[in-house]
Amino acid sequence: MSIKYAILGILAERDLHGYELKTNFDDKVGEFWSLNFGQIYSTLDRLEKDGLVTHDRQAQDKRPDRKIFSITKKGRIILTQWLSTPISKVRALRDEFFIKLVFMDKDNPAAVLDLIEKQKMLHLKHMNRLTRRKVALKSKICNRDTLPTELLLDAGLFHAEADIKWLTLCETKIKTEIKRKE
Amino acid sequence: MDRSDEKTEELTMIELRHAGRKFRQGLREVKALSDVSLVIRKGEFLSIMGPSGSGKSTLLNLIGGLDRPTEGEVILDGRPLHGITDDQVTLLRRRHVGYVFQFFNLLPLLTACENVGLPLLLDGLPFSKVKQKAEALLEKVGLAERIEHRPDQLSGGEMQRVAIARALIADPAVLLADEPTGNLDSHTGEEIFLLLKSLNDRGQTIVMVTHDPKAAAYGSRIVTLKDGHPAQDICIGED
Ligand SMILES: Nc1ncnc2c1ncn2[C@@H]1O[C@H](COP(=O)(O)OP(=O)(O)O)[C@@H](O)[C@H]1O
Ligand SMILES: [Mg+2]
Repeated sequence: MSIKYAILGILAERDLHGYELKTNFDDKVGEFWSLNFGQIYSTLDRLEKDGLVTHDRQAQDKRPDRKIFSITKKGRIILTQWLSTPISKVRALRDEFFIKLVFMDKDNPAAVLDLIEKQKMLHLKHMNRLTRRKVALKSKICNRDTLPTELLLDAGLFHAEADIKWLTLCETKIKTEIKRKE
Repeated sequence: MDRSDEKTEELTMIELRHAGRKFRQGLREVKALSDVSLVIRKGEFLSIMGPSGSGKSTLLNLIGGLDRPTEGEVILDGRPLHGITDDQVTLLRRRHVGYVFQFFNLLPLLTACENVGLPLLLDGLPFSKVKQKAEALLEKVGLAERIEHRPDQLSGGEMQRVAIARALIADPAVLLADEPTGNLDSHTGEEIFLLLKSLNDRGQTIVMVTHDPKAAAYGSRIVTLKDGHPAQDICIGED
């Protein structure tokens, strides 16, 4: 999965020990994706076994050695391949809300419409939060590269917009169905 | 009136009280808006969102005094728009309201600077004074390099910036925008919203109507319209 490639991507920039890796990861994509140390170390283990990452020991005063991780030549090849390959798996059409629609009481369309309305408002509020983050990001003078974060916020906005449009269509179709039955 | 009422009044920019608007379409009567009560506060960036035909433009026209309600009242910055003549409404509108439309509505033969200054020129102000102010506004909307360009020499986003500068020329108390990016691509549209947001951060009250949730999301408050009536009103805190 992509944790593996995120770690390879970070190590491709420079060698780091586990703690730095986590901070670096949080810095880059932490807004969208949280990882704990356990996940980082178990992924590093697997990457080492596959020969994509290796480590050096660094001695410390009065404390156990710490491991500095670096990417191997093979690791770089795998990373470059992954980076240049488009994702062929399309986002799954398996939304929790869809399951609700399937099991809602067909004889009580008012309740379904009410649920749709509430869901739309939640999406709209979410879009407002993302927009505020984007505005803040763009108004800050920042030496860090903020473009990836901005693009991810945009993706969140487009997905939420698609959900709202879809819910609006559900609303219209359910209302049309009610009228047809009357 | 007690003190708390005075306080609310000070903070209120626009108030609609049970406002409605009916239209005649042949023999039919269409209720474009019914029983809209809404308080818009000073400094607010209000988005009004609803599907096509839900009454958004009608509502914005009532708010800005471009049209008058068939029921109820509109109060603009403390001044009731009822019980006065159409000419008086027009005068109030020219002084207090800036309008931005979807199709920019710029005059093709005038330069950006002249388009922006036009409202003041029509008011009889001297050209030299108007020019200075128009240029300053064009700079503010990021068009310092386009002052002498005519609309056909500008991109869609630039034309909308000119229209925004024009709407601001008379220092309006409130800026109204009707689908201001309806004709622009996502990126150009975003730049227009960021401009509106920065104007709002500097205190400009803004009311924008749109069918587009991405646009509405720039507001600090979002009212949704359904069949001519407000359905939801969400105020968004700085969480
Ligand atoms: N001048 C008019 N004459 C007759 N009907 C009108 C007029 N303006 C608007 N309407 C009707 O009022 C309703 C709301 O229109 P409008 O405010 O333009 O909606 P929106 O801007 O949300 O698309 C529509 O049914 C429209 O046909
Ligand atoms: Mg409209």
